[in-house]
Amino acid sequence: MPPVSLPDSLTKPFKAYSDIVGLELGAGLEGGGVPAVRLRRNKGRTELVAAGFLDLPGALPMAPGGGDVPTWRLPSPFRAPHAALAVRSPLAYLRHSADGQAAAEEERGMAYRHAARQTAPEMPQLVAGLPEFQAAWAARLLPEGHRPTVCSIQVAAAAAIGGFAASPALARAQGHAVALFVFSASTSLVAFQDGRLVFYREHAVGMDHLRDAISSQMGIGPELADAVLEDTLIDPTPVIEPILRPLYRQIEISADYLLRRRKCQVEHFFVNGLTVGCSHWSRLFTRMMGHAMTFCSPLEGLDRAGQAVRLPEEVEKRAPLLMTALGAARTVLEDV
Amino acid sequence: MNASLHLNLLKDAERFSSSPIRPRVMIPLLAILSAAGLGVWWMLLTVRLGNAVHEKMVREASCAELKPALNQVLELRAREKEAYAALAQLGFYRASIIRFGDTLMRLPQHVPESIQFTELRVPPPPPMPPPDPTTKVQPLGPTNLVEAVTLRIAGRASSSTSSEAVRSLLDALRQPAYSNLIRKAEIPKGAFRQDSARGPGSRESILFEITCDCGERRFK
Repeated sequence: MPPVSLPDSLTKPFKAYSDIVGLELGAGLEGGGVPAVRLRRNKGRTELVAAGFLDLPGALPMAPGGGDVPTWRLPSPFRAPHAALAVRSPLAYLRHSADGQAAAEEERGMAYRHAARQTAPEMPQLVAGLPEFQAAWAARLLPEGHRPTVCSIQVAAAAAIGGFAASPALARAQGHAVALFVFSASTSLVAFQDGRLVFYREHAVGMDHLRDAISSQMGIGPELADAVLEDTLIDPTPVIEPILRPLYRQIEISADYLLRRRKCQVEHFFVNGLTVGCSHWSRLFTRMMGHAMTFCSPLEGLDRAGQAVRLPEEVEKRAPLLMTALGAARTVLEDV
Repeated sequence: MNASLHLNLLKDAERFSSSPIRPRVMIPLLAILSAAGLGVWWMLLTVRLGNAVHEKMVREASCAELKPALNQVLELRAREKEAYAALAQLGFYRASIIRFGDTLMRLPQHVPESIQFTELRVPPPPPMPPPDPTTKVQPLGPTNLVEAVTLRIAGRASSSTSSEAVRSLLDALRQPAYSNLIRKAEIPKGAFRQDSARGPGSRESILFEITCDCGERRFK
């Protein structure tokens, strides 16, 4: 007798999402807070309903059996029915893999959850992995019976990339672009062709490396590093160039790869997640590559409603840091 | 144009509803409550059925005990009914009595000396039709409400004026003194004749007969 199964509409309790809050766990931001963005689908358009940095204990457990799981209750503007969590963890990974992820997981000696997806034809699958204990911890953060409950757990880089892939910036570039996602400890480098992700690399240089270099070489406290990057009277280029040059070299190699292997000429270069020092990044990039850099705001192109019509100035200023939380929510909204 | 980049690491078992009404809790709870409700209903039904059966048995026993008494009561009521019917019938008869005595006491003064009555009688009414054999309860008496009553006077007149004597008797019977009893008096055709039984010597002897209609006898 053939196996009998119920239709998906009966077995899958949640089908489509139209109102979702994205949260970034383990962000470890300089100014503190858990990035949170609530998005809503209204008449085919995506609305920003609320955004901010919530005062919640967002530190991830770094070892299995890490004690009690806190229970989060979000402020009312962020209480969407569902939540998409983006987890930034040094133990997580995102990479292309032709034969799965077993080797890396065995090296680390712990159980992993993973999800894979073919992002473009003739490309190895993009695989995301997260330690089981961290995923299970995240899944229990938001209790049942209260808004919101978790509907998605993503690794931070994948969430940020997913948000950018749905942004109008990539659409303006006709889907051909190289994008940088600058995190505190690393930078993700992604190439898009026809809107599809064809190349992903992770570069082990992040914003914290720049801050540390400025702090140590200029003899100032780390909290003043951002001020140096914004100050027009001090030129930090000699300090940051040795750090950024290998990254830009990676971009050059990626662009060359796209041209030679995939017949794709890239003329658009986007940077996400950068709150300070944009002019230095841009000047150095133009000097090395001969192209301009475009700095993206994750809130660009979104209609605003509710609390988000007038966001606090502090939130607007730090908006690039919301890219992962917003990306997590937007990726779920776009996944129909 | 875009391929989705949603790499979801959440397990299906970790998906929860934000609704305060949790199907995971409510469905088993409702199932248990439904089963308990059905059990209670079934128990109540069983108890009520048991009570009904017990009451039926008690009432059947009570009926069985009362049956002889009931039969006796029914029999007595039938007998009572029969007695009342007989009494009513007797009452009807009593009410329907026509009293001839006073009238007949006055009759001799109107009878001429030459007349001798040979018969003075009230003939019985014509026989009743036989009772309907299909009727379960046979009537105790006649079922007609009225009955015609006649007084028949037969006699002999032995004089030369026999016919005048009989005529004077007939006229006397038609007088108001008798009208309360006798409505109509007549000599039927052929009832006035020679008394041939006495031989040729008795040519003046005449036999006569007068029929008096006394009205109806009413049973009510």
